[in-house]
Amino acid sequence: MRQEATRRGVLAAAVSLPLLAAGCKGVGALGNPPPPLPDVAVVRDAIAGETLMISRYNAVLAAVPALAGSLHPLLLQHREHLARLRARLVDARASSPPGHQVTASPAVAHVPGTPAAARAYLRHAEQAAAAALLGKLTATPPSLAQLLASIAASEATHALLLGPGRQTV
Amino acid sequence: MSASATPAVRALQAALDAEHAAVYGYGAVGAHLTGARQKAAVRYWVAHQMARDTLAAMITALGAQPVAAAAAYQLPFPVHDEQAAVMLAALLEDRVAAAYLGLVALSDARLRMFGARALQSAALRAASWRGQSLAFPGLEVPAPGPVPAGSGPASPTAGGGSPTPTGPAGG
Repeated sequence: MRQEATRRGVLAAAVSLPLLAAGCKGVGALGNPPPPLPDVAVVRDAIAGETLMISRYNAVLAAVPALAGSLHPLLLQHREHLARLRARLVDARASSPPGHQVTASPAVAHVPGTPAAARAYLRHAEQAAAAALLGKLTATPPSLAQLLASIAASEATHALLLGPGRQTV
Repeated sequence: MSASATPAVRALQAALDAEHAAVYGYGAVGAHLTGARQKAAVRYWVAHQMARDTLAAMITALGAQPVAAAAAYQLPFPVHDEQAAVMLAALLEDRVAAAYLGLVALSDARLRMFGARALQSAALRAASWRGQSLAFPGLEVPAPGPVPAGSGPASPTAGGGSPTPTGPAGG
């Protein structure tokens, strides 16, 4: 069962790379699943990053409800990022039934309680997330690299919009 | 295979084509803006000129002939006022972002990173015009639409810089 789940994950991730050897010979290798591809790990990392970011937004919104208007559009885009990443990894552990968008929601210990500090906290998190994605670009298949670069650019614009000169995002 | 047929050259030429269009388009944008917005338009116009020159040098270094700018470009909609000018600026940046995303699909790691950084710069400029972000800059180019009143690059730091003028061509 565990092997089957892993295999499905690998095959799903290989869909974006039709010519990849592991994907092509999958049918003939049922009893001997190939080891997870490096890009499966990259997608899982990116999913974990987006899930953490969503948790941070939720924690900030709980602590500073006045920011809801400005943060909600950004939170929605993180959910879009997460959905697009999950679509690349149809895996029993990564996917979730409708209505359970965030499965393993990481705990966010403490978030600032004032609007300005909360925005700065999220801005720094966005900048770090964008930089982390850029760091994974070079060893991934082309279409995954494009998705990661696009998400990184989106997160960089979030950081811009969370800047101190942009109180009305 | 001739140099003009390599994936790298094709992607660089597409980016150069988008930069030519942006340089032209920002001329129309700047003519309808005033104050901080006009200053931003001039700053971004210069950034696109630098990016254009960088791309041309990179293409030349790969042994190909850089595509030339057209004498004129058809604007996607009439630009007669400030709102249309800001809308056009955002659209130009969206298209530049999409062109640079083509570089991210290349196997050359330096070109990938160059494309990703230039994509980010274009996305930042687009967001500064729009006052809003996109979920997937470069992957999805939204239809031109009205931008919120009062948006636009008001702060001198908005836009986050330009595509780096020192590309892999020199290295």
